[in-house]
Order: sequence, then C-alpha cells, then structure tokens
Amino acid sequence: MPYLVSFHIGWLIGSALLGFCMGWISVVQRGNGTSKVTARCLAVLVAALVAASFAHVIPGRFGYWLDLGLVLFACYLVGCTIGAWLRYWVVSRSQPAA
Amino acid sequence: MQMLFRWASKWWPGLIPLAVMWGFAAWNNTLPVEADLSARSSAALKDTVLDKTRIAVDGRDVSLAADAFSEEGRRDAVTTVEMVPGVRLVDDQTRLAPEAKPFVWSAERDVVRVTLSGSAPLPSMKARLTEAARKEVNGTEVADQMGLARGAPARFEAAAMLLLDQIGKLKDGKITITDTKVNLSGMARDIGGREAIAAALKNLPEGFSIAANEIKAPPYIFQAYKDPVAATVTLTGYVPDNNVHTAIATSASRKFFTEKVVDNLKASVGAPGSFNTAVVAALGALSRLSTGTLVVSDREVKLSGDALYEGAANDIRAGLGKDFPKNWQYKPEITVKPAAGPVDGTVCQQLFSELLAKGKIRFATKRADIDPDSAGILDHLIETALRCPTTNIEVAGHTDSDGEDAFNQALSEKRAQAVIDYLVKAGLPADRFSAVGYGSTQPVAANDTDDGKAQNRRIEFLVR
Repeated sequence: MPYLVSFHIGWLIGSALLGFCMGWISVVQRGNGTSKVTARCLAVLVAALVAASFAHVIPGRFGYWLDLGLVLFACYLVGCTIGAWLRYWVVSRSQPAA
Repeated sequence: MQMLFRWASKWWPGLIPLAVMWGFAAWNNTLPVEADLSARSSAALKDTVLDKTRIAVDGRDVSLAADAFSEEGRRDAVTTVEMVPGVRLVDDQTRLAPEAKPFVWSAERDVVRVTLSGSAPLPSMKARLTEAARKEVNGTEVADQMGLARGAPARFEAAAMLLLDQIGKLKDGKITITDTKVNLSGMARDIGGREAIAAALKNLPEGFSIAANEIKAPPYIFQAYKDPVAATVTLTGYVPDNNVHTAIATSASRKFFTEKVVDNLKASVGAPGSFNTAVVAALGALSRLSTGTLVVSDREVKLSGDALYEGAANDIRAGLGKDFPKNWQYKPEITVKPAAGPVDGTVCQQLFSELLAKGKIRFATKRADIDPDSAGILDHLIETALRCPTTNIEVAGHTDSDGEDAFNQALSEKRAQAVIDYLVKAGLPADRFSAVGYGSTQPVAANDTDDGKAQNRRIEFLVR
C-alpha cells in the first residue's frame, strides 16, 4: 500500500480533488440520488472487489489495476466526504446570518 | 450520518471522470511499475548466491526463476523478493542447481589460450579460479567455459588452485579433476618443468590423488653455432650440471683454436644419458667445419655445415656416428666448402705459421697419439697443403726438456711421423712430406716453467 500511494501520489491527489468537488456540489444539489437498492448493490460490489484485492485472487496486471482502482476510489470517497462536510459547514454558518 | 448517506447518493456522477482517470493512470504507470519492481528485485538479490537468475514482473507480481546452491539459499532468495516493497506475489520457479556426477573440472592450455571448463561449485569460486588462471598465465587469454553444479568434493578449491599454479609451467596440456582423481597430460614449458610439477603435486589436499601424470619434458637441447665471420662459437641450451658445463667449455676452447667461445649454456636437469660424451664428440666434428651448426635434441644429433675438403666431409659423415653412445641418432648434412685458390710456397709457409701460432697439434702425454681435439687444426693444415700442391713440406717435431734426450728425440720423430700419417690418410701424397725430430734441442721458450715447456712441445711445418 505505501508503495502504491507513493508511486501514484499525483493521481491520488487528483482523485481526491475530484471527490472534493463532487462532495462540495452534492450538499446543495437538488434532485434524487441513487436508490437504496442501487447503493447497496454498489457497496456489495466494492466490498467484493476489496475482498478480491486482499485475497490476491486476480493475478498480474489485472490485479495491479484493481488495486490501483480501489485506491483511487478510496481517495475519491475521502475527497467527497471532506468536500461535503466543508460545504455543509459553510452553508450552515451563512444561513443564520441571512 | 444520515446526511452523509444523502450526500453520498449524489456522488456517483464523479465516478465517470474517476474511471477515466483510472484508465489513464493504469495506461501510464503499468510499465514503469514493472520496471521499477524488476530493478528493486534484482538489487535485493545482488548478494544472494544464485545462478541463471531470471526475473519477470507482471503488474506487481514477480516471477523468480534461478538455480540455487542450497535449499536454505533457495528459500532466502524467494523471501528476499517477497520483502521488496511493492511486490504483491512471488511466483517461485527456483530450483537447486543440478548435481554433477562425477564432478569434473578441467584447465586446458594451448598455444593461444587457457580454457577452464567443467563445473565449479559456486559463482564466487568460479570467479576466483578464473582470476587465478589469469594471474598464472599473465598476458595469455583465459576462456571461462565453466558451468555451475553441486557435488564438488571437499577441498576442491584448494586442489584446483594448486593445479592452476601448474598450468603456467605447461607449454600445452590439460589438467582434469574427476571427483578426487587428478589427470595431467601435455608438455612442460621448460626443462625441469615436469619435475617441478611432480613435486608440487605432492601438496595436493587430503583426499585427492593422481590418477595419471603424463606430462612430458620438452626436448633437452644443446646448440653450437660456428661463425667464421665473427670468429665465434656460440654455445646455447642446457647442460646437466656445472661439472659437465666446465668439461664442455674446456673441450670447446681446445677444439676451436681460432674462434672465441661464447658460452650461453644453462644448467638444468633432464639430460639424456651419456650427454657429455656425445656433445664433446659432436663439438669435435663441428670444429672441423669452416662454418656449421650443431643441434643436440634429446638423443638426436644434427650437424650441418661446410667441411674444408672432401675427405674431411666423408670422414665426418661416416666417422662420427661411431663416437656416439648407443641409442643416439646422428644426422649429418655436410657439404664441402669451395676450394680456395692455389698459392705459392711462401704464402703456404705463412699460412702454416699463422695456423700453428693460433693452435697446436696435441698428443697424448709422452706418446705419439694425436689428440682428437686437434682434428680441427689438422683439417686447416691439410686444406692449406692442398693449396700448394707442388711444394714439399718438412714436418718437424719438438719436445720440452723433461725426460731423457734419446726418448725426446724418438718421441719428436714419432710425433712428426704421426702427423704425416694423418695427412696421407687424408689423401695427400706421402712423397711431399718428410718427418724430422729435433727432440728438445730447439726450444722457443725457457724450459723452467710449465708455460715455457708447453710452448716447446710443438709441431712445425716448413715448406722446402
């Protein structure tokens, strides 16, 4: 893991920034998101991929690409979370003043 | 937390650019990651003893193939690669190096190179053996064709190093270790090299033994070159010891009365039997040539050159073989020097006087038997006599003052007659010569010293 992070640090920062933007938007975005069923299916899929990664069941380059994708996805999620919390904090501070 | 889930349900559109980014990252980084892990794995294995190491990286999975020299070394190599940061899986394709039965190692020397072949037990030992061979044959090419295999006998390196020390003493040949048996064949570089190798082999490590030692000694060479222009006789090659050296040098200085003897002989073991007798006889024949070369190689004598006249050539061709010990071969290649032009009696007398001033006809002590060492000067006297065929020559014998006058008188007459007999036997007409004995009545030096007596004991040629 440290090797993956250090070797792909630029790409990981990029995915975190992408997530930050998505999180920032998501707080004020109107409309429906994914349904609960879809979200659960996606969660199960990600969990299965994480399990496959840790179990080293996918060999060679495909295994490497899976690990890389999961790390990028993790950074994306972290960026989303930070972005959403920050936006929420900014919005909640400005409302009482208005 | 509920808010987080609500926000998260709206994060999915970002997955599309994330997937694109993922694709670009994979496209850009796969080969660099593989190259980096390959380099790190190779660096990690640098101090590990392996042969035929091959590292292939697929993604972050490393395939390691190598020959190890012990089970522990094999496991260590796999663990080392597993510990390299970034490596995910190691495909272990290592194996133990094959075991050689029998374990054979050899060093072969020819004209241009030394070739090391067979098996060495470890890469480091292989390098040490190659380096040792390079040092031993400084300047000669060393070809390393050794493979690596397990199964070397104990103390193999010590035995191989000792044998490599001997390769420098060989002109050509092969040294082989087969398990604990050592075979040697070839030709020693120098006289005495065979004996030096045999002595060194006594220090082989315990457990090793000599199966066959067929190292041959180089020919034992003695050469002499008579150069009439430089007026030198050059002796080169080997003699068995200092006593024989002295005997040959003394004999040469007596036989070659007009030439300076240049002595470049070296003492060395390995001479054939009766070396001294054969070489002295051959030098006697060489002294009878105007120019010539003598080569004694082991038990073969080659004499080539120009005799002073036809009779001498025939005598040298036919007679010398009898002087050699049994089992010796004599190969004369004698030609005859072109006859010099005729001269009158005065010049002939001058030539006789010059020859007898440079050398003497020698006889056995108190006897009239001509010393074989005088064959050279007699041939020159005969050649001179042939140049003035119309003259008559008085051969005069003289003695020193030792002994009774009557005995000396008789001895001087006999010696003069012996010389005439020699000349007649060589083909000169007997009626041209008369023998006269003067005993000790005409000394040319005082008889009170050995040197003076030696000067008085002489034969003179007087043209009448």
